[in-house]
Amino acid sequence: MDNYRNVENGFRRYKAHISIAGTTQFHIRNPYVIAWWSAAFPGFGHLLLSKYLRGLSLFIWEVIVNSNAKINLAMVHSFCGNIEAAKEVLEPRWMLMYIPVYLFGIWDSYRTSVDMNKVYLLAEKEGAPFNSFAIGAMEINYLDKRQPAMSVIWSLFMPGLGQLHIHRLLTAFFALTWTILFIYFSKLLLSVHYLFLGQITESTAVLDIQWLLFMPSMWGFAAYDSYINTVENNKLFNNEQKEFLINHYQDRSFHVKKGKVEV
Amino acid sequence: MVQIFSTFEHSTNLELALTVLEKNGIHKENIFAVPLTNRKTERRLFDSIHNADGISLISTGAALGTAFAVVGASVGFKLAWGPIFCGLIGTSVGFILGVCIDLFYYKVIKKQQRLLRGKNSEVILLIECEEEQADTVEDILWHHYAFGTARIV
Repeated sequence: MDNYRNVENGFRRYKAHISIAGTTQFHIRNPYVIAWWSAAFPGFGHLLLSKYLRGLSLFIWEVIVNSNAKINLAMVHSFCGNIEAAKEVLEPRWMLMYIPVYLFGIWDSYRTSVDMNKVYLLAEKEGAPFNSFAIGAMEINYLDKRQPAMSVIWSLFMPGLGQLHIHRLLTAFFALTWTILFIYFSKLLLSVHYLFLGQITESTAVLDIQWLLFMPSMWGFAAYDSYINTVENNKLFNNEQKEFLINHYQDRSFHVKKGKVEV
Repeated sequence: MVQIFSTFEHSTNLELALTVLEKNGIHKENIFAVPLTNRKTERRLFDSIHNADGISLISTGAALGTAFAVVGASVGFKLAWGPIFCGLIGTSVGFILGVCIDLFYYKVIKKQQRLLRGKNSEVILLIECEEEQADTVEDILWHHYAFGTARIV
């Protein structure tokens, strides 16, 4: 059940939509920041824009091609100065496939955020009503205010929890699932375990480099995505309430009393 | 008749206050809400639940933190401390560097005023009621976290 149903479709643009799966909204973004996240990990830029299908396609593409081409492994070797090892490890059958799609992800997310900023300005000006409450058999979602810092803290503990905190279910599910895979295959927790025992050499040796290098971006993205969306959801709550107050609590017959403040 | 003025921030509590007031016999026509546009002041590092301008200083920090984490973890395979510590050090250095860049940009190059610190009065609520009801109305407002109230007689 929703509190608004768009039957007539009488408006051109809508700035937000609250559904069982999450709160989706247009808001102003810095296109360079979005492009950067696409560069950190193809798909992240699009996920920040709430373009889940594009984002997930690019993300899965990245994991498959990077794993086969051994891009992450080659990166570690290059950063360590072992250029020969990097050349050795790269798989030419996959490597060249990486380049065009990687660049497309960056370019397309940049272009899309520039476009979406314009759409936001138009939607904001048009001020069309939107659904702000959803209840169904499986879930409940409504506009509310949350603490941005909590989103970041939970995201750092486990990518995806920050998104659960603000009911961004698609990103939450995706981040949780992939984090499990990355952490398991990289043997990261085993390595942390050795660190606690003070065995740094074993701790380094046990790590699977190719899988480990997916994690920094995952953490950064999860924290950033949940943070900015908490902030934007809070702003949406304020604006929606402002509109509600103006529409319902500004009766023409109300006169402000001229008197004295009773102390 | 008296009028009671009060200020609130945007929150679910404000709507609860309105509902309780109406339940206590205050008609909708006798409630007047004035949402404010808030004055802006300096940019802060983190947005809070009470106010947010959405362009806080963590965007560049998060981006550089991630970039430095990748490089730190990679180089860490060669260094004595190993990839995990080096990755964490890289993250912190990147984050701090990003925040510094933003601070420099917004404080020195582009001085801009942003939202006020702390809690802001975002809505003024005016309620007209009989003198006998005034105490109840004020109680309801305080109970729902009004920042301040005043009674005009």
